[in-house]
Amino acid sequence: MPPALSRRRFLASGVAGATLLARAPAVLGQQPRELNVWHTEVEPQTVKVIQDTSIAEFEKKFPGFKVRQQALSWGDLNTKLLASLAAGGPPDLTHLNPFMTASLHTKGLLRPMDELIRALGEKDIHEATLKLQYFDGKYYGVTHAMGATYFAERRDLREKKGIKPPETWADMLQLAAALTEDGRFALQMPGEKLYIGFVHPAEWLAENGGSWVDPKTWRPQLNSKAMLEALEYAQKLNRFQPQGWSGQKYLDTLAALANGKVAMAHLSGARTIGYIEKYAPEGTRDPEHFMPLLRPHGPSGKVGVSALDGENWAVFTQSKYPNEAFEFLRLFYKKENYLQYCHSVPIHLSPIFKSMLTDPAYLANERIKKWKPWHDVMMSGLRSGRFLPIGFSRPDDNVLPFLAELDGSGIVADMVVEVMVGGKTPKAEADRAQKRAEELLTQLGAKRWS
Amino acid sequence: MRKNALAGWLLLAPSLLLIGGLILYPIAYNLWLSLFDKHAFMPVQKFVGLQNYRYFAGDPEFWNAFYYGTVYAAVTMVFQLLLGVAAALLLNEAFHGRALLRGVVLFPYVIPTIVAVILWKWLLNDSYGLVNYLLLAAGVVRAPVAWLGKDWIMFSLVLTSVWQFFPFVVVTYLARLQTIPPELYEAATVDGATVWRRFLHVTLPQTSNVLFVIVLLRSIWMFTKFDTVWLMAGESAVSRYVRTLPVYAYARSFTYLQAGMGAALAVIMFGMLLAATFVYFRLFREEEVLT
Repeated sequence: MPPALSRRRFLASGVAGATLLARAPAVLGQQPRELNVWHTEVEPQTVKVIQDTSIAEFEKKFPGFKVRQQALSWGDLNTKLLASLAAGGPPDLTHLNPFMTASLHTKGLLRPMDELIRALGEKDIHEATLKLQYFDGKYYGVTHAMGATYFAERRDLREKKGIKPPETWADMLQLAAALTEDGRFALQMPGEKLYIGFVHPAEWLAENGGSWVDPKTWRPQLNSKAMLEALEYAQKLNRFQPQGWSGQKYLDTLAALANGKVAMAHLSGARTIGYIEKYAPEGTRDPEHFMPLLRPHGPSGKVGVSALDGENWAVFTQSKYPNEAFEFLRLFYKKENYLQYCHSVPIHLSPIFKSMLTDPAYLANERIKKWKPWHDVMMSGLRSGRFLPIGFSRPDDNVLPFLAELDGSGIVADMVVEVMVGGKTPKAEADRAQKRAEELLTQLGAKRWS
Repeated sequence: MRKNALAGWLLLAPSLLLIGGLILYPIAYNLWLSLFDKHAFMPVQKFVGLQNYRYFAGDPEFWNAFYYGTVYAAVTMVFQLLLGVAAALLLNEAFHGRALLRGVVLFPYVIPTIVAVILWKWLLNDSYGLVNYLLLAAGVVRAPVAWLGKDWIMFSLVLTSVWQFFPFVVVTYLARLQTIPPELYEAATVDGATVWRRFLHVTLPQTSNVLFVIVLLRSIWMFTKFDTVWLMAGESAVSRYVRTLPVYAYARSFTYLQAGMGAALAVIMFGMLLAATFVYFRLFREEEVLT
């Protein structure tokens, strides 16, 4: 039988317990406050660099704070972010896709960051990114780094055929026909809906003088001349791809390029270098064999355009520690920290500062030195205005508050896939997509046309 | 008496709370939500009555999804049933290694869906998949088959689903098979019944109850299956060729960000299943009672 508990002992235990509970808030108050930072750079070395540089310095400077970084893929970030906003507890600082920023800004969810931009050097930030989040005379975001996208080609194969880099879609079709031989296909597109149904159609529109919507009325332009020509081009290009491309992923296309199954990867960035160095045959792992190729333009356009991968940092009105979030960004962009960050995935994470893009300290990185022609292609593309943010058909698309929904609806993806894979006629599919897009924008309250 | 009744209600209270909180409330809330034009995450909503339902009645995407969902549910259910019943009959026989095989056959059902799908996508990949490698090596095909492309994606999805879920039929059917009195088979054998006749006149009537439940459950589960379909092709370009109603409902809620529309689709699916279940019961359950 257990010993009986005396009343005195019971009371004493009760008082002790109550004292402990009463002290709990004080104890909790001493725990470090947490600054939540979400971003999309999932490479382990990048996560480590952020931890060892900006976070370490921030925690030293603000001893009461602990920074919690979460690296998330695009899709995961978008869903998680919107859910956290709905729950009223977004992170203090996050990456955002430029095509989502307008939507969040119009709902009054973002904090301006003019002071930070001025402190970083407004004039030094590259024009390709500076005003992407600029609404009503204020900045609501700053790009973390830039990564250009383009074709990655087997330069040696093209040169052997004596063909110049294509300037127009017609040139590209000729090149594709020439490079499809001996069981090898000319090119491969990524099969993910995001790319084939949003990123690439935006590029096709941009390089063919078109746009997602009418700039004034916001009426969708999915059956416009520019889009119809783009669909015809895509349908023709499809003949030079492996049959199962639509079931393959972006990274599969890079592997296919590296191991020689295709002569061009339709979507490529500096990440491709990692695949080339790993999987391409010995003796070919260099810019003599593998090079970026800027996009050609369509019959109604003037210059080829491709997507510039570069999310922006954003601070929410609901952020718990907005001032500290801005302080964190100052440390993130501090030259020695930022340099290490950019070097964690060289060229893919190119600095947003013009001065740094040509800085010998930045260019001294071994991979950048070896693959300098890739860096140069990006610089030349930046100079000639050949990049637009992901999903943009023109620079002013940053004010459209429905691009995320248009992408998510899969309307454009369905149209492109039916034309390319299903072999349907572009006009019929474009008309169907136009009708669906008009319905969607009406439902979203974005209808400005009559 | 009143005291007893109170005690009874108190004992029932936890169950009632659970059922109310986890089943009735979500259904009622979903029904309510389906009458609104509501953004999935932002606090923006407007009452629209039955407008969402009217929209889907004329929405070709809805009817496409209904078609693909019905084909997927029906075909996978039939093959699960055939394969599951055949495997159960086999595993009901006495042979060396039966216990091990009974364990192994459960394997697809107990692994997580994500693992099953990744495994099949790897096997079926037309660039480096084992299936194409073997077919090419055996000379069955001359070029790799695009199993994950437009023409074969439904087949691949059905294959993966049947592989993943037929063990449920095996286990359920086998459990019933083991309770059939052996005397019935002995009597039938004495009467000169062949194996096929014994199956037709002894096994099938004895197992009709369990088959009824299996068909009902598996049809409902396959019609509402989301994870396998989404993981197989949800984010790929060919997703439109396997876009079933649950996937469409998810898309409306979380990628179109139209929660009201998504809720309306869920209600429609719920109604369809209720109606189908009612018809199924009327057709087969009554027949069984009469016989």
